[in-house]
Amino acid sequence: MGARVITITSGKGGVGKTTTTANLGVALARQGKRVIIVDSDIGLRNLDVVMGLQNRIVYDIVDLVEGRCRLRQALIRDRVMPELYLLPAAQSRDKTAISPTDMLRLCDQLRAECDIVLIDSPAGIERGFRNAVAPAEEFILVTTPDQTAVQDVDRVVGILEAEGHRALRLVINRVRPALVKRNESLSPQEIVEMLAIELLGIVPEAEEIIVSNGRGTPIAYNEQSPAGRAYHQMARRLLGEAVPIPPVEAQKRSPWAWLRRRSS
Amino acid sequence: MNKMVAIRGTREGLTIALGSSAMPEILQELARHLQAQGAFFRGGMVALEVGERPVSADDLAAIQKLLGEYDMTLRTVLAADKASQEAALALGLRLVSPAAPEAEAAPPAAPTALAAGSAPFEGVRGILVRRRIRSGQVVRHTGHIVVIGDVHAGAEIVAGGDIVVWGRLFGTAHAGAAGDENAIVCALELAPLQLRIGHVVARPAEGERQRPQYPEVAYVRDGLIVIDKWDRTPRGV
Repeated sequence: MGARVITITSGKGGVGKTTTTANLGVALARQGKRVIIVDSDIGLRNLDVVMGLQNRIVYDIVDLVEGRCRLRQALIRDRVMPELYLLPAAQSRDKTAISPTDMLRLCDQLRAECDIVLIDSPAGIERGFRNAVAPAEEFILVTTPDQTAVQDVDRVVGILEAEGHRALRLVINRVRPALVKRNESLSPQEIVEMLAIELLGIVPEAEEIIVSNGRGTPIAYNEQSPAGRAYHQMARRLLGEAVPIPPVEAQKRSPWAWLRRRSS
Repeated sequence: MNKMVAIRGTREGLTIALGSSAMPEILQELARHLQAQGAFFRGGMVALEVGERPVSADDLAAIQKLLGEYDMTLRTVLAADKASQEAALALGLRLVSPAAPEAEAAPPAAPTALAAGSAPFEGVRGILVRRRIRSGQVVRHTGHIVVIGDVHAGAEIVAGGDIVVWGRLFGTAHAGAAGDENAIVCALELAPLQLRIGHVVARPAEGERQRPQYPEVAYVRDGLIVIDKWDRTPRGV
Protein backbone atom coordinates (compact mmCIF):
# COMPACT_ATOMS: atom_id res chain seq x y z
CA MET A 1 0.00 0.00 0.00
CA GLY A 2 1.02 3.55 -0.65
CA ALA A 3 4.21 5.33 -1.43
CA ARG A 4 7.74 4.24 -2.19
CA VAL A 5 10.08 5.12 0.66
CA ILE A 6 13.59 5.98 -0.50
CA THR A 7 16.41 6.94 1.87
CA ILE A 8 19.30 9.07 0.67
CA THR A 9 22.47 8.24 2.56
CA SER A 10 26.26 8.16 2.17
CA GLY A 11 28.23 7.36 5.31
CA LYS A 12 30.46 10.38 4.86
CA GLY A 13 29.25 13.91 5.50
CA GLY A 14 29.32 16.81 3.11
CA VAL A 15 28.97 14.83 -0.09
CA GLY A 16 25.56 16.24 -1.01
CA LYS A 17 22.84 14.11 0.59
CA THR A 18 20.68 17.09 1.43
CA THR A 19 21.19 18.72 -1.96
CA THR A 20 20.30 15.44 -3.66
CA THR A 21 17.18 15.02 -1.54
CA ALA A 22 15.96 18.56 -2.21
CA ASN A 23 16.56 18.42 -5.94
CA LEU A 24 15.17 14.93 -6.46
CA GLY A 25 12.13 16.07 -4.48
CA VAL A 26 11.62 18.99 -6.84
CA ALA A 27 12.29 16.90 -9.93
CA LEU A 28 9.93 14.10 -8.89
CA ALA A 29 7.23 16.65 -8.07
CA ARG A 30 7.69 18.12 -11.54
CA GLN A 31 7.06 14.64 -12.92
CA GLY A 32 3.64 14.92 -11.31
CA LYS A 33 4.33 12.86 -8.21
CA ARG A 34 3.15 13.76 -4.73
CA VAL A 35 6.38 13.86 -2.75
CA ILE A 36 7.22 14.25 0.93
CA ILE A 37 10.84 14.93 1.80
CA VAL A 38 11.83 14.12 5.36
CA ASP A 39 14.81 15.62 7.18
CA SER A 40 15.94 12.94 9.64
CA ASP A 41 19.09 14.80 10.70
CA ILE A 42 17.75 15.76 14.11
CA GLY A 43 19.88 18.40 15.80
CA LEU A 44 21.52 19.52 12.53
CA ARG A 45 18.60 20.31 10.30
CA ASN A 46 19.47 21.64 6.85
CA LEU A 47 16.91 20.51 4.36
CA ASP A 48 14.57 23.38 5.26
CA VAL A 49 17.33 25.88 4.45
CA VAL A 50 18.12 24.34 1.09
CA MET A 51 14.39 24.39 0.28
CA GLY A 52 14.04 27.97 1.52
CA LEU A 53 11.35 26.97 4.01
CA GLN A 54 13.09 27.54 7.31
CA ASN A 55 10.88 30.46 8.31
CA ARG A 56 7.73 28.39 8.00
CA ILE A 57 8.56 25.70 10.52
CA VAL A 58 6.11 25.49 13.40
CA TYR A 59 6.15 21.79 14.22
CA ASP A 60 8.85 19.22 13.43
CA ILE A 61 9.36 15.48 13.23
CA VAL A 62 9.90 15.09 16.98
CA ASP A 63 6.69 17.01 17.74
CA LEU A 64 4.90 14.64 15.40
CA VAL A 65 6.41 11.49 16.91
CA GLU A 66 5.70 12.69 20.43
CA GLY A 67 2.11 13.55 19.54
CA ARG A 68 2.20 17.31 19.95
CA CYS A 69 0.76 17.88 16.48
CA ARG A 70 -1.05 16.17 13.64
CA LEU A 71 0.71 15.15 10.41
CA ARG A 72 -0.95 17.89 8.38
CA GLN A 73 0.33 20.51 10.80
CA ALA A 74 3.94 19.37 10.56
CA LEU A 75 4.11 19.13 6.76
CA ILE A 76 5.26 22.32 5.03
CA ARG A 77 4.22 22.87 1.43
CA ASP A 78 6.89 23.95 -1.02
CA ARG A 79 6.75 27.53 -2.26
CA VAL A 80 6.60 26.45 -5.91
CA MET A 81 5.44 22.86 -6.16
CA PRO A 82 1.98 22.31 -4.73
CA GLU A 83 2.55 18.56 -4.39
CA LEU A 84 5.91 18.75 -2.61
CA TYR A 85 6.01 18.77 1.19
CA LEU A 86 8.80 18.96 3.75
CA LEU A 87 8.77 17.29 7.14
CA PRO A 88 11.50 19.19 8.99
CA ALA A 89 13.87 17.83 11.62
CA ALA A 90 13.96 19.19 15.15
CA GLN A 91 16.90 21.46 15.80
CA SER A 92 16.95 21.52 19.60
CA ARG A 93 16.98 17.75 20.15
CA ASP A 94 19.31 14.92 19.16
CA LYS A 95 19.16 11.61 17.31
CA THR A 96 17.96 9.70 20.33
CA ALA A 97 14.72 11.71 20.37
CA ILE A 98 13.24 9.18 17.95
CA SER A 99 13.80 5.48 17.33
CA PRO A 100 13.76 3.28 14.23
CA THR A 101 10.34 2.03 15.37
CA ASP A 102 9.05 5.61 15.53
CA MET A 103 10.27 6.09 11.96
CA LEU A 104 8.48 2.95 10.80
CA ARG A 105 5.23 4.13 12.33
CA LEU A 106 5.67 7.63 10.98
CA CYS A 107 6.36 6.41 7.46
CA ASP A 108 3.27 4.22 7.50
CA GLN A 109 1.33 7.44 7.99
CA LEU A 110 3.26 9.23 5.23
CA ARG A 111 2.79 6.42 2.74
CA ALA A 112 -0.93 7.04 2.71
CA GLU A 113 -0.46 10.73 1.91
CA CYS A 114 1.79 10.71 -1.15
CA ASP A 115 3.50 8.75 -3.94
CA ILE A 116 7.12 9.00 -2.85
CA VAL A 117 8.79 9.63 0.51
CA LEU A 118 12.43 10.76 0.34
CA ILE A 119 14.33 10.56 3.63
CA ASP A 120 17.49 12.64 4.01
CA SER A 121 19.82 10.66 6.27
CA PRO A 122 22.44 12.17 8.56
CA ALA A 123 26.10 11.26 8.04
CA GLY A 124 27.52 8.31 9.92
CA ILE A 125 26.29 4.79 10.53
CA GLU A 126 24.95 5.23 14.04
CA ARG A 127 21.53 5.95 15.51
CA GLY A 128 20.57 8.72 13.07
CA PHE A 129 21.46 6.49 10.13
CA ARG A 130 19.49 3.63 11.69
CA ASN A 131 16.45 5.88 12.01
CA ALA A 132 16.71 6.98 8.39
CA VAL A 133 17.22 3.50 7.03
CA ALA A 134 14.61 1.59 9.04
CA PRO A 135 11.46 2.47 7.07
CA ALA A 136 12.95 2.43 3.54
CA GLU A 137 12.94 -0.30 0.95
CA GLU A 138 15.00 1.64 -1.60
CA PHE A 139 18.21 3.57 -1.15
CA ILE A 140 20.17 6.22 -2.98
CA LEU A 141 23.85 6.31 -2.05
CA VAL A 142 25.60 9.61 -2.64
CA THR A 143 29.33 9.83 -3.21
CA THR A 144 31.84 12.28 -4.61
CA PRO A 145 34.88 11.16 -6.60
CA ASP A 146 36.94 11.16 -3.39
CA GLN A 147 38.42 7.87 -2.30
CA THR A 148 37.15 8.41 1.25
CA ALA A 149 33.57 9.03 0.16
CA VAL A 150 33.62 6.00 -2.13
CA GLN A 151 34.94 3.77 0.62
CA ASP A 152 32.29 5.01 3.05
CA VAL A 153 29.56 4.28 0.54
CA ASP A 154 31.06 0.82 0.12
CA ARG A 155 30.74 0.33 3.87
CA VAL A 156 27.12 1.48 3.89
CA VAL A 157 26.27 -0.72 0.92
CA GLY A 158 27.78 -3.64 2.83
CA ILE A 159 25.57 -2.90 5.83
CA LEU A 160 22.43 -2.55 3.72
CA GLU A 161 23.15 -5.67 1.68
CA ALA A 162 23.72 -7.63 4.86
CA GLU A 163 20.20 -6.65 5.87
CA GLY A 164 18.84 -8.00 2.62
CA HIS A 165 18.38 -4.77 0.69
CA ARG A 166 18.96 -4.95 -3.03
CA ALA A 167 17.41 -1.72 -4.38
CA LEU A 168 20.55 0.39 -4.08
CA ARG A 169 21.35 3.16 -6.51
CA LEU A 170 24.34 5.43 -6.78
CA VAL A 171 24.59 9.18 -7.35
CA ILE A 172 28.06 10.50 -8.11
CA ASN A 173 28.16 14.11 -7.07
CA ARG A 174 30.55 16.96 -7.79
CA VAL A 175 32.26 15.31 -10.72
CA ARG A 176 34.89 17.52 -12.32
CA PRO A 177 35.32 16.51 -15.95
CA ALA A 178 38.60 18.36 -16.33
CA LEU A 179 40.19 16.39 -13.48
CA VAL A 180 38.82 13.13 -14.80
CA LYS A 181 40.23 13.91 -18.20
CA ARG A 182 43.66 14.57 -16.72
CA ASN A 183 43.38 11.32 -14.76
CA GLU A 184 43.62 13.19 -11.47
CA SER A 185 40.26 12.12 -10.15
CA LEU A 186 38.41 8.84 -10.08
CA SER A 187 36.17 8.63 -13.11
CA PRO A 188 32.48 7.72 -12.75
CA GLN A 189 33.20 4.44 -14.54
CA GLU A 190 35.89 3.57 -12.02
CA ILE A 191 33.60 4.41 -9.10
CA VAL A 192 30.76 2.30 -10.48
CA GLU A 193 33.18 -0.55 -11.01
CA MET A 194 34.47 -0.25 -7.45
CA LEU A 195 31.05 -0.14 -5.84
CA ALA A 196 29.19 -2.48 -8.19
CA ILE A 197 25.74 -0.97 -7.75
CA GLU A 198 23.37 0.60 -10.24
CA LEU A 199 24.22 4.15 -11.31
CA LEU A 200 21.30 6.54 -10.99
CA GLY A 201 23.08 9.65 -12.17
CA ILE A 202 26.11 11.91 -12.29
CA VAL A 203 26.05 15.53 -11.17
CA PRO A 204 28.84 17.81 -12.38
CA GLU A 205 30.48 20.15 -9.89
CA ALA A 206 28.81 23.54 -10.24
CA GLU A 207 29.15 26.81 -8.40
CA GLU A 208 25.51 27.53 -9.05
CA ILE A 209 24.59 24.69 -6.67
CA ILE A 210 26.32 26.45 -3.80
CA VAL A 211 24.53 29.66 -4.72
CA SER A 212 21.13 28.07 -5.08
CA ASN A 213 21.49 26.10 -1.83
CA GLY A 214 22.25 29.35 -0.03
CA ARG A 215 19.26 31.09 -1.60
CA GLY A 216 16.92 28.25 -0.80
CA THR A 217 16.00 27.62 -4.43
CA PRO A 218 17.13 24.14 -5.46
CA ILE A 219 19.00 24.04 -8.77
CA ALA A 220 16.39 21.65 -10.14
CA TYR A 221 14.10 24.64 -10.62
CA ASN A 222 16.51 25.68 -13.33
CA GLU A 223 16.24 22.99 -15.97
CA GLN A 224 18.63 24.86 -18.22
CA SER A 225 21.61 24.19 -15.97
CA PRO A 226 23.54 20.93 -16.44
CA ALA A 227 23.19 20.07 -12.75
CA GLY A 228 19.46 20.82 -12.74
CA ARG A 229 19.01 18.68 -15.81
CA ALA A 230 20.94 15.85 -14.18
CA TYR A 231 18.40 15.76 -11.33
CA HIS A 232 15.43 15.70 -13.68
CA GLN A 233 16.96 12.82 -15.59
CA MET A 234 17.52 10.97 -12.30
CA ALA A 235 13.90 11.48 -11.34
CA ARG A 236 12.75 10.02 -14.63
CA ARG A 237 15.06 7.04 -14.16
CA LEU A 238 13.67 6.53 -10.66
CA LEU A 239 10.21 6.37 -12.21
CA GLY A 240 11.34 3.62 -14.55
CA GLU A 241 12.11 5.56 -17.70
CA ALA A 242 15.22 4.49 -19.62
CA VAL A 243 17.08 7.79 -19.81
CA PRO A 244 20.68 7.30 -20.94
CA ILE A 245 23.38 8.73 -18.69
CA PRO A 246 25.46 11.17 -20.70
CA PRO A 247 29.23 10.76 -20.26
CA VAL A 248 30.76 13.60 -18.26
CA GLU A 249 32.91 14.74 -21.15
CA ALA A 250 29.84 15.37 -23.22
CA GLN A 251 28.82 18.08 -20.81
CA LYS A 252 31.86 20.09 -21.82
CA ARG A 253 31.11 22.94 -24.18
CA SER A 254 30.59 21.91 -27.76
CA PRO A 255 29.58 24.25 -30.55
CA TRP A 256 26.18 22.57 -30.68
CA ALA A 257 25.54 22.51 -26.95
CA TRP A 258 23.14 25.44 -26.95
CA LEU A 259 21.16 23.80 -29.73
CA ARG A 260 20.71 20.54 -27.88
CA ARG A 261 19.78 22.41 -24.74
CA ARG A 262 16.94 24.13 -26.53
CA SER A 263 15.46 20.96 -27.88
CA SER A 264 15.52 18.94 -24.67
CA MET B 1 59.38 -24.50 25.39
CA ASN B 2 57.17 -22.64 27.78
CA LYS B 3 56.74 -24.49 31.05
CA MET B 4 53.15 -23.44 31.40
CA VAL B 5 51.36 -23.08 28.09
CA ALA B 6 52.27 -23.32 24.43
CA ILE B 7 49.84 -22.35 21.69
CA ARG B 8 50.58 -23.60 18.20
CA GLY B 9 48.65 -22.64 15.15
CA THR B 10 48.25 -25.33 12.59
CA ARG B 11 46.27 -25.18 9.41
CA GLU B 12 43.68 -27.36 11.04
CA GLY B 13 43.16 -25.21 14.09
CA LEU B 14 44.94 -24.59 17.34
CA THR B 15 46.84 -26.89 19.59
CA ILE B 16 47.31 -25.80 23.17
CA ALA B 17 49.89 -27.77 25.11
CA LEU B 18 49.88 -27.59 28.89
CA GLY B 19 53.17 -27.60 30.78
CA SER B 20 53.86 -29.07 34.18
CA SER B 21 53.09 -26.06 36.38
CA ALA B 22 50.20 -25.99 38.83
CA MET B 23 46.78 -25.61 37.27
CA PRO B 24 45.88 -22.15 38.60
CA GLU B 25 49.10 -20.74 37.15
CA ILE B 26 48.46 -22.45 33.85
CA LEU B 27 44.97 -21.00 33.68
CA GLN B 28 46.35 -17.56 34.41
CA GLU B 29 48.98 -17.89 31.73
CA LEU B 30 46.44 -19.14 29.21
CA ALA B 31 44.14 -16.25 30.01
CA ARG B 32 47.03 -13.85 29.42
CA HIS B 33 47.82 -15.43 26.03
CA LEU B 34 44.23 -15.31 24.96
CA GLN B 35 43.85 -11.73 25.98
CA ALA B 36 46.87 -10.79 23.90
CA GLN B 37 46.00 -12.80 20.81
CA GLY B 38 42.43 -13.92 21.33
CA ALA B 39 41.09 -11.93 18.40
CA PHE B 40 43.05 -14.09 15.96
CA PHE B 41 41.76 -17.30 17.39
CA ARG B 42 38.12 -16.32 17.59
CA GLY B 43 35.84 -19.07 16.37
CA GLY B 44 38.68 -21.59 16.41
CA MET B 45 38.64 -25.28 17.22
CA VAL B 46 41.11 -26.32 19.87
CA ALA B 47 42.95 -29.52 20.61
CA LEU B 48 44.35 -29.63 24.13
CA GLU B 49 47.55 -31.54 24.77
CA VAL B 50 47.79 -32.39 28.44
CA GLY B 51 50.47 -35.05 28.10
CA GLU B 52 51.22 -37.21 31.13
CA ARG B 53 49.81 -34.95 33.80
CA PRO B 54 46.50 -35.77 35.39
CA VAL B 55 43.80 -33.18 34.76
CA SER B 56 40.50 -33.17 36.59
CA ALA B 57 37.13 -32.61 35.01
CA ASP B 58 36.90 -29.32 36.88
CA ASP B 59 40.19 -28.15 35.36
CA LEU B 60 39.05 -29.13 31.89
CA ALA B 61 35.76 -27.37 32.43
CA ALA B 62 37.63 -24.25 33.52
CA ILE B 63 39.75 -24.32 30.38
CA GLN B 64 36.68 -24.91 28.26
CA LYS B 65 34.97 -21.93 29.84
CA LEU B 66 38.00 -19.70 29.34
CA LEU B 67 38.23 -20.65 25.66
CA GLY B 68 34.51 -20.09 25.33
CA GLU B 69 34.99 -16.47 26.35
CA TYR B 70 36.99 -16.05 23.16
CA ASP B 71 34.47 -17.97 21.04
CA MET B 72 36.84 -20.91 20.83
CA THR B 73 35.66 -24.47 21.09
CA LEU B 74 37.54 -27.15 22.95
CA ARG B 75 36.98 -30.20 20.85
CA THR B 76 39.74 -32.68 21.41
CA VAL B 77 41.90 -33.69 24.33
CA LEU B 78 45.18 -35.54 23.95
CA ALA B 79 45.93 -37.23 27.25
CA ALA B 80 47.94 -40.17 28.47
CA ASP B 81 46.77 -40.22 32.06
CA LYS B 82 43.75 -42.34 32.91
CA ALA B 83 42.15 -39.69 35.13
CA SER B 84 42.54 -37.04 32.43
CA GLN B 85 40.99 -39.33 29.85
CA GLU B 86 37.99 -39.98 32.03
CA ALA B 87 37.62 -36.29 32.72
CA ALA B 88 37.61 -35.57 28.98
CA LEU B 89 35.02 -38.25 28.33
CA ALA B 90 32.89 -36.95 31.15
CA LEU B 91 32.75 -33.60 29.39
CA GLY B 92 31.84 -35.23 26.10
CA LEU B 93 35.09 -34.25 24.41
CA ARG B 94 36.81 -36.16 21.69
CA LEU B 95 39.69 -38.06 23.21
CA VAL B 96 42.96 -39.05 21.68
CA SER B 97 45.24 -41.14 23.81
CA PRO B 98 48.78 -42.01 22.73
CA ALA B 99 48.08 -45.70 23.28
CA ALA B 100 45.08 -45.80 21.03
CA PRO B 101 45.27 -43.01 18.49
CA GLU B 102 42.01 -44.09 16.88
CA ALA B 103 40.08 -43.84 20.12
CA GLU B 104 36.70 -42.35 19.34
CA ALA B 105 35.09 -43.24 22.62
CA ALA B 106 33.21 -40.03 23.09
CA PRO B 107 30.47 -39.01 20.71
CA PRO B 108 32.07 -36.23 18.69
CA ALA B 109 30.10 -33.01 18.51
CA ALA B 110 30.23 -33.10 14.74
CA PRO B 111 32.17 -34.94 12.09
CA THR B 112 35.50 -33.25 12.15
CA ALA B 113 38.79 -33.30 10.38
CA LEU B 114 40.73 -31.53 13.05
CA ALA B 115 44.26 -31.53 14.28
CA ALA B 116 44.25 -34.32 16.78
CA GLY B 117 45.05 -37.52 14.94
CA SER B 118 46.81 -35.79 12.02
CA ALA B 119 45.45 -38.48 9.78
CA PRO B 120 46.54 -37.93 6.18
CA PHE B 121 43.95 -37.00 3.55
CA GLU B 122 41.41 -36.12 6.14
CA GLY B 123 41.29 -32.76 4.47
CA VAL B 124 41.50 -29.37 6.07
CA ARG B 125 38.60 -27.23 7.08
CA GLY B 126 37.87 -24.22 5.00
CA ILE B 127 35.04 -22.00 3.98
CA LEU B 128 33.82 -20.79 0.63
CA VAL B 129 32.50 -17.24 0.57
CA ARG B 130 30.57 -16.56 -2.59
CA ARG B 131 30.01 -12.81 -2.56
CA ARG B 132 31.95 -9.58 -2.70
CA ILE B 133 33.41 -8.43 0.63
CA ARG B 134 32.90 -4.72 1.18
CA SER B 135 34.71 -2.15 3.27
CA GLY B 136 34.27 -2.82 6.98
CA GLN B 137 33.32 -6.45 6.49
CA VAL B 138 35.55 -9.09 8.00
CA VAL B 139 35.78 -12.76 7.10
CA ARG B 140 37.54 -14.82 9.74
CA HIS B 141 38.10 -18.54 9.84
CA THR B 142 40.61 -20.83 11.49
CA GLY B 143 41.01 -22.92 8.34
CA HIS B 144 41.33 -21.81 4.72
CA ILE B 145 39.20 -19.12 3.13
CA VAL B 146 38.18 -19.11 -0.50
CA VAL B 147 36.36 -16.05 -1.80
CA ILE B 148 34.58 -15.97 -5.12
CA GLY B 149 34.16 -12.25 -5.63
CA ASP B 150 36.11 -9.07 -5.07
CA VAL B 151 37.55 -8.05 -1.72
CA HIS B 152 37.23 -4.27 -1.50
CA ALA B 153 39.62 -1.81 0.09
CA GLY B 154 38.80 -1.62 3.82
CA ALA B 155 37.64 -5.24 3.96
CA GLU B 156 39.60 -7.85 5.90
CA ILE B 157 40.19 -11.55 5.43
CA VAL B 158 41.83 -13.43 8.28
CA ALA B 159 42.53 -17.14 7.87
CA GLY B 160 44.39 -19.67 9.93
CA GLY B 161 45.37 -21.28 6.63
CA ASP B 162 45.48 -20.09 3.04
CA ILE B 163 43.48 -17.36 1.34
CA VAL B 164 42.36 -17.80 -2.23
CA VAL B 165 40.45 -15.02 -3.94
CA TRP B 166 38.83 -15.72 -7.26
CA GLY B 167 38.48 -12.03 -7.90
CA ARG B 168 40.34 -8.87 -7.06
CA LEU B 169 41.93 -8.47 -3.66
CA PHE B 170 42.12 -4.81 -2.64
CA GLY B 171 41.56 -5.16 1.10
CA THR B 172 43.74 -6.57 3.85
CA ALA B 173 44.56 -10.27 3.91
CA HIS B 174 46.12 -12.20 6.76
CA ALA B 175 46.90 -15.83 6.03
CA GLY B 176 48.36 -18.21 8.60
CA ALA B 177 47.01 -15.88 11.24
CA ALA B 178 47.91 -18.22 14.07
CA GLY B 179 51.55 -18.16 13.04
CA ASP B 180 51.75 -20.49 10.05
CA GLU B 181 54.27 -18.98 7.65
CA ASN B 182 53.71 -21.68 5.07
CA ALA B 183 50.35 -20.20 4.25
CA ILE B 184 49.78 -18.51 0.91
CA VAL B 185 47.55 -15.76 -0.43
CA CYS B 186 46.53 -15.78 -4.05
CA ALA B 187 44.16 -13.73 -6.14
CA LEU B 188 43.29 -13.12 -9.76
CA GLU B 189 44.33 -9.54 -9.10
CA LEU B 190 46.52 -9.20 -6.05
CA ALA B 191 46.55 -5.54 -5.00
CA PRO B 192 45.96 -5.59 -1.24
CA LEU B 193 46.30 -2.60 1.06
CA GLN B 194 48.30 -4.83 3.37
CA LEU B 195 49.31 -8.44 3.34
CA ARG B 196 50.24 -10.57 6.31
CA ILE B 197 51.38 -14.15 6.40
CA GLY B 198 52.05 -15.55 9.84
CA HIS B 199 53.93 -12.77 11.60
CA VAL B 200 55.28 -11.17 8.44
CA VAL B 201 53.69 -7.94 7.27
CA ALA B 202 54.02 -6.42 3.82
CA ARG B 203 52.71 -3.23 2.32
CA PRO B 204 52.76 -2.56 -1.39
CA ALA B 205 55.46 -0.12 -2.45
CA GLU B 206 54.48 3.53 -2.26
CA GLY B 207 53.25 5.17 -5.40
CA GLU B 208 51.49 3.74 -8.38
CA ARG B 209 52.18 0.09 -8.76
CA GLN B 210 51.52 -1.18 -12.19
CA ARG B 211 48.86 -3.81 -11.85
CA PRO B 212 49.82 -6.98 -13.61
CA GLN B 213 47.10 -8.51 -15.71
CA TYR B 214 47.64 -12.00 -14.38
CA PRO B 215 46.92 -13.86 -11.14
CA GLU B 216 49.54 -13.71 -8.43
CA VAL B 217 50.45 -15.64 -5.30
CA ALA B 218 52.16 -14.36 -2.16
CA TYR B 219 54.17 -16.50 0.23
CA VAL B 220 57.00 -16.17 2.73
CA ARG B 221 60.56 -16.79 1.62
CA ASP B 222 63.53 -16.09 3.93
CA GLY B 223 61.31 -14.17 6.31
CA LEU B 224 59.90 -11.87 3.62
CA ILE B 225 56.70 -11.90 1.67
CA VAL B 226 57.35 -12.37 -2.02
CA ILE B 227 54.88 -12.28 -4.88
CA ASP B 228 55.03 -14.51 -7.94
CA LYS B 229 52.96 -15.07 -10.98
CA TRP B 230 50.33 -17.66 -10.10
CA ASP B 231 50.55 -19.97 -13.05
CA ARG B 232 51.54 -23.23 -11.43
CA THR B 233 51.30 -24.94 -8.08
CA PRO B 234 52.83 -22.56 -5.56
CA ARG B 235 55.93 -23.54 -3.70
CA GLY B 236 55.35 -25.82 -0.71
CA VAL B 237 51.86 -26.88 -1.68
